[in-house]
Amino acid sequence: MDTATIRVTRYRPEKGPEPFFQEYKVPYRNDMVVLDALNYIKANLDGTLTYRWSCRMGVCGSCGASVDGTPKLTCASFLHEFKGRTITIDPLPNFPVVKDLVVNMEDFMEKLVRIKPWIIREKETPPEQGEYKQSAEELERYQQFSSCINCMLCYSACPIYGLNEKFLGPAATALAYRYIEDSRDQGRNVRFPIVHEMEGVWECTLVGECSVVCPKGVDPMLAIQKTKILGATNAIRSILMPRGGR
Amino acid sequence: MRETRKVARLHAILWGIFSLGGMIAAFLLPVMIYLTGIAYPLGLWPFNGSRDPSFLVTGTLLGMLFVFVTVAGSLFHGIFRFQSALTEVGLLRLKRGLEAVGYLIIFVGIVLLAYYLLVLNPSLPAL
Amino acid sequence: MTENKSFPELRRKLNPGWWTANRHYVQYMVREWTSLFVALFSLVYIYGLSLWVTGSRSAFLNLLKNPATIAFSFIALVFTLYHAVTWFYLLGQVVPIKIGKTTSKPWQALVANLILMLIVSYLVIWLLVLR
Repeated sequence: MDTATIRVTRYRPEKGPEPFFQEYKVPYRNDMVVLDALNYIKANLDGTLTYRWSCRMGVCGSCGASVDGTPKLTCASFLHEFKGRTITIDPLPNFPVVKDLVVNMEDFMEKLVRIKPWIIREKETPPEQGEYKQSAEELERYQQFSSCINCMLCYSACPIYGLNEKFLGPAATALAYRYIEDSRDQGRNVRFPIVHEMEGVWECTLVGECSVVCPKGVDPMLAIQKTKILGATNAIRSILMPRGGR
Repeated sequence: MRETRKVARLHAILWGIFSLGGMIAAFLLPVMIYLTGIAYPLGLWPFNGSRDPSFLVTGTLLGMLFVFVTVAGSLFHGIFRFQSALTEVGLLRLKRGLEAVGYLIIFVGIVLLAYYLLVLNPSLPAL
Repeated sequence: MTENKSFPELRRKLNPGWWTANRHYVQYMVREWTSLFVALFSLVYIYGLSLWVTGSRSAFLNLLKNPATIAFSFIALVFTLYHAVTWFYLLGQVVPIKIGKTTSKPWQALVANLILMLIVSYLVIWLLVLR
């Protein structure tokens, strides 16, 4: 019977401070994904293996891991993609590891909330006046950036975030940009100071790996660039026209 | 809070200048390197063996402008980017020091460039 | 999920060789280090200019004709052209142009700007040397 070899980096703090490798052999079918292999291991070989997963179809963003060195969703990585059917799985880089493949997501969650991911209005209109209308063209300006499933692969791919945990990062900036470009939103004054602070977009040096690994085509690199341009024009405008001109 | 806003705003403008410098380095620097460093010393086109170097340090207003814009823009862009590249290969803790040295080099370089072109330039065009 | 001190979290530091891990990162590093030659050429130029304007014409000419300077100029030109090419591609990625229903691709921006750069270069030569 065909088998695949799965090498997992484990971390059991209750057993010792050092991470260690463990190898498992799983039966191979060519429609299997890495998540299937992990589930097989947990069900049949080693019930202590710990990892996150949920929808198993690439929409929930739970199952991110480093598969052969690349941040990927384990439910979207087919075993047949990997030569020799030997795969190494590590927890997502740039995040602290709680146990085995489970990482601490708190910094990421804090950043998502920090940029205020909701429509901000100067004045809410009462429901009787109807909904805020938006044309198809207005929707297109931000739609791509609303596809984020919060899987954190982009933060794992970003070396700037790896070097500096304070960096706001790809997903948070893309989400902020999604609201900045939403025609219904009037919160630029609130969001700009957050994204344009020193550790906001300015740390980004266009490595671009975030957009390469994104499973949903959000292109956070583009969002960060556009936000930088907004920041530069805003700064120049605030110097030339300090009292208004908005 | 206000202090960090001001610093961030300054950084936004510096980024804008850096981007402009990138355009300059991409569009104008190649021809400058070719003319100054390769075509003239080797007698290639457009110099074709002509040995009159007066153009190089520009006796025309246009030439002076070209030199200043190209060298100042390229210097700013190059130093700005190089200092961030250095922090990415393991020198992150020296970041503040690298920035200080970098901006000093940029400042001195541009001041000297302007001084040479506008004051000491022996072929200064009659203005 | 605050960290339980008896079960500490594993913190992995990014090692300085992180950029060797994949092809994209290596290309990124090469792209960023082109800035070194851009800056260096500018500094060498300012130095050369200082020789000329302070009257040391022969020193200036010797600097230009020095094979080391010519070799450096060749290398600087190669790296500057690589900067230009990657810069144009980046422009294509971050400022896509929409015409009707189609959006421009990065390689199109690369080609268009490269042609523009050649035109600008010829203009510079014409305005400053040939005229």
